[in-house]
Amino acid sequence: MSTDMEQRYQERLTRYTTAMRNEKPDRIPIRPFVAEFTAKYAGYTCQEVAHDYEKAFAAARKCAADFDWDAVVSNMVFVWTGLTEAISLNYYAIPGIQIPADVGFQYIEPPEGEAFMRADEYDLLVKDPVEYLFNVWLPRVADDVSPMGQPTSLRNNLSFVKGGMAMMQYFAGFGTQNARLRSESGTVSAIAGILKAPFDIIADKLRGYKGLCMDMYRQPEKVVAACEAMAPHLLHVAHITADPGKKVPIGLWMHRGCVPFISPPQFEKFYWPTLKWIIEELARMGHQVLFYAEGEWNPNLKYIAELPDLSIIYHVDRGDIFEVHKAVGHKFCLSGGIPNDLLAFGTTDDVRACCKNVIDGVAGDGGYIMDASAIMQDDTKVENLQAMTEFTREYGVY
Amino acid sequence: MSEQESPKRPPGVCIPWEDKLQKLPEISGDKDLVKRVWEETDALAYLYIWHCLLAF
Repeated sequence: MSTDMEQRYQERLTRYTTAMRNEKPDRIPIRPFVAEFTAKYAGYTCQEVAHDYEKAFAAARKCAADFDWDAVVSNMVFVWTGLTEAISLNYYAIPGIQIPADVGFQYIEPPEGEAFMRADEYDLLVKDPVEYLFNVWLPRVADDVSPMGQPTSLRNNLSFVKGGMAMMQYFAGFGTQNARLRSESGTVSAIAGILKAPFDIIADKLRGYKGLCMDMYRQPEKVVAACEAMAPHLLHVAHITADPGKKVPIGLWMHRGCVPFISPPQFEKFYWPTLKWIIEELARMGHQVLFYAEGEWNPNLKYIAELPDLSIIYHVDRGDIFEVHKAVGHKFCLSGGIPNDLLAFGTTDDVRACCKNVIDGVAGDGGYIMDASAIMQDDTKVENLQAMTEFTREYGVY
Repeated sequence: MSEQESPKRPPGVCIPWEDKLQKLPEISGDKDLVKRVWEETDALAYLYIWHCLLAF
């Protein structure tokens, strides 16, 4: 690794971590969360980056180098469909298989009544989440896994070997990817570790959104109990996958906790208590969380303001970022606030005007990271992302 | 978060060491070594299922 590149890396890491401490770095860090955009830019199809993670890694590295960003996610096309196919996971539409090769992979919620967790199985989940996931959930979502009590098969036996080894191979690749981002372009790997709210796990992967909506009315105490049963496990996974150096934050992907999916009172009762506990515990251990609040979360700001100072980096999607800054900007670094539809359909002048507006409004005292509102897929125009980058580099100097 | 019972299977564990120990003969050598390696490999399975749930 060249000395110059390592120096660039250290400068970027300092810039990034300073902003995340809600302080003023030398200039605003640029940390775009780019997924299928990287494929378009690098000349790959969505199928290629979803199914061949080395191409996804290469596309991310190319973007990092060409755009000269401070930080990127090592691979934002995170679901490696090679692994999902290895165990025949049945809830994805894969580019080039179920959907066209130039469309990003899609998660498919099961039909109502066929949720991966049945309405009367909360007690099983609460009693032992690990046992439930292995014995009940996995056989339902992975076609190669035989249900308990059913005859086993070659496919069943292979699924565990293939799934486990494929996962290890893929995750090992991230280590090399992060090292190459550092050595080849001095780019910081933006996040480390994974977290979701217990409520989102139930909504996304267990009961489905519709099923969970009914459960909140029909068996609310079970929903609360399920969240509480899973919380220690989600905390544990977040902690052991986090940056051991505690520099970059844990990625928290937030889905169903915002309006209009659930109301603020439902947020207060079902979504918030366990997530708050997890974030507080991680903060106590010295880890920040990237609070990637996709959607409109401003109605819940009074709850989010309860979190310890600097415990999160608050990423703004649909919420009014100026309102967010007013409410919690003194506590947390903010990121985002540049609408994806602007980056997809607007002009470069529009993008620059928006960036200026956001920077003027929320970045004056530091504690702001430039990024789009949501993960950028292949609809983002290259020239608009270029405009966002170059404008911030020039105008975002302190 | 409300008071709750200690989980039967704590975070990080699939098959507890105590269960594995029952199926082993008397350990004549370094018991702590066997325990550590068992728990490390068991944790890999734990990570597998939670990553399937969280990340895939």
